Amino acid sequence: MTNKKPVFPLNILSFLQKIEDGILVGLLLLMIFIAVLQIFLRNLFDSGILWGDPLVRILVLWIGLIGAMVASRDNHHISIDVISRYLPDKIKKLSNLIISIFTSLVCAVMAYYSLIFVMMEKNDGILAFATIPAWVCESIIPVSFGIISFRYLLLSFTILTKLFKRIPQ
Amino acid sequence: MIVLLIAILILFALLGAPLFSVIIAAAMAGFYFGDINLSVMAIELFRIADTPILLALPLFTFAGYILAESNTSKRLVRLTQTFFGWMPGGLAIVAFIVCAIFTAFTGASGVTIVAMGALLYPALKQAGYKDKFSLGLVTTSGSLGLLLPPSLPLILYGVIAQQMSSGEEISIEKLFIAGILPAILMILLLSSWSIWANRKNKIPLIPFSLQKAMSAVREAIWEIPLPFFVFTGIYSGFFAVSEAAAVTAMYVLIVEVFIYKEIKLSQLVSIIRESMVMVGGILLILGVSLGFTNYLIDAEVPMKLFELCQTFVSSKLVFLILLNIFLLILGAMLDIFSAIIIMVPLMLPVALEYGVDPIHLGIIFLANMQIGYFTPPVGMNLFIAGYRFNKPIVEIYKATIPFMLVLLLAVLIITYLPWLSLVFIS
Repeated sequence: MTNKKPVFPLNILSFLQKIEDGILVGLLLLMIFIAVLQIFLRNLFDSGILWGDPLVRILVLWIGLIGAMVASRDNHHISIDVISRYLPDKIKKLSNLIISIFTSLVCAVMAYYSLIFVMMEKNDGILAFATIPAWVCESIIPVSFGIISFRYLLLSFTILTKLFKRIPQ
Repeated sequence: MIVLLIAILILFALLGAPLFSVIIAAAMAGFYFGDINLSVMAIELFRIADTPILLALPLFTFAGYILAESNTSKRLVRLTQTFFGWMPGGLAIVAFIVCAIFTAFTGASGVTIVAMGALLYPALKQAGYKDKFSLGLVTTSGSLGLLLPPSLPLILYGVIAQQMSSGEEISIEKLFIAGILPAILMILLLSSWSIWANRKNKIPLIPFSLQKAMSAVREAIWEIPLPFFVFTGIYSGFFAVSEAAAVTAMYVLIVEVFIYKEIKLSQLVSIIRESMVMVGGILLILGVSLGFTNYLIDAEVPMKLFELCQTFVSSKLVFLILLNIFLLILGAMLDIFSAIIIMVPLMLPVALEYGVDPIHLGIIFLANMQIGYFTPPVGMNLFIAGYRFNKPIVEIYKATIPFMLVLLLAVLIITYLPWLSLVFIS
């Protein structure tokens, strides 16, 4: 993708990325604000928001998982990668293809089983804090793995098209 | 079948598969063969929200990214130079100190070399230090300071060790205290080596000027309190680590965006995104490893590992020597966060059986990892320095080796003198 104005369906993707960025920024600032507020309330007034601490802890999970979603936009996840730089171009592309399909599959399985977990929690009806049920807090797990899985699927297609372009007709 | 699966997963990992996916696959395979519902992975992942100390991770990372993007590095160098520049070997010592502080706050993600190296490398050469020496110095300093609070790897080690510990408490505060003397030892040894290496190379000293010192202080007045309230806040027990992180993040945000005005609001979005991508990467691996670690403990893997070790190694001393060698290699291959998350759960129980203190083990672990950053041929900082200063990698290897030997000496002292790490911890 160049700097040209993206066309359908890429414009939807870039719009979604903006939303993702916006959520990330909002949640981090909220987290800093509440965490500092709690310190002030406790030290100055010897009080605090009852649901402040659990909210902040859940924000850590959300920010982490959304950060991980953003990282998968351009395959920016932590990896070891000691062999691939010595591989010839063609084989490297092939191994990248296998790996992104693998990652996509693993994340899809993870998304499926965390969805089951969230459904179970919904039936149990436990509250996380205030009036927020636990399953809402946990719902980020299947969502984030679903999106990561989707992004690696897209990446696989991108690599696949590159692989075929290289073959002379 | 299982052996084949493990082999495939290791091959995938080495080919560059995201580490978190390899860990998920391994854990799921383990649970599947153990007839445990795979939803347990999500339950384990959710434990991230049950670990209050993890709040420190995004907050300190964010603060560090902001500091790295603003002109803090310039002010820090100027400030330290006016106060230490008059001493023999002054600028070299300045370089070690500022890099250590900067790395402690920003994490050793290579940003020290990019931001600090860009200032220090030309300054060192201009002051009369040889090119090779200066290059080695900035490359080595890129990971100096990992042992100082509020370094992220130190916090992460504490988090994992807490999950593993049975009985004895391993607090982050204790780790922060334990790292101080070892870090000072490293700086002292490196400084002495620098003075000795330049004994024939007469470098003019910069006389101390009160006027310059005052102006440097005034310039950095908003940033000078930062290390103090982090250090004293945590050490005095006034702040918990995560509270210190919250205050630091808020303070740095206000100072750099609204007082120095070096970060535009529009830049803030990309800084938050980049820093949280890093946090996300770490937390994801941590979250999926919690499941994996539980599986390993259920399967008594650490105990079997210890029994295996014991057939070869009977003394603590030999164990520590082998540990050092292993960690050096590991540090060169694996990035520090995944190394901690994957290896600590396996290593800590074994080390405990040999009578190694868990806090001491943390310091040993990170001290070795620090050297791993510039261990040829694949240490990450070697490539960053080569890229940043536009030098062939072999030249970087040669320039870095003397410094590496000095730090190896430091690591040996740290490993075999537990006193150094544990003296302030009763």
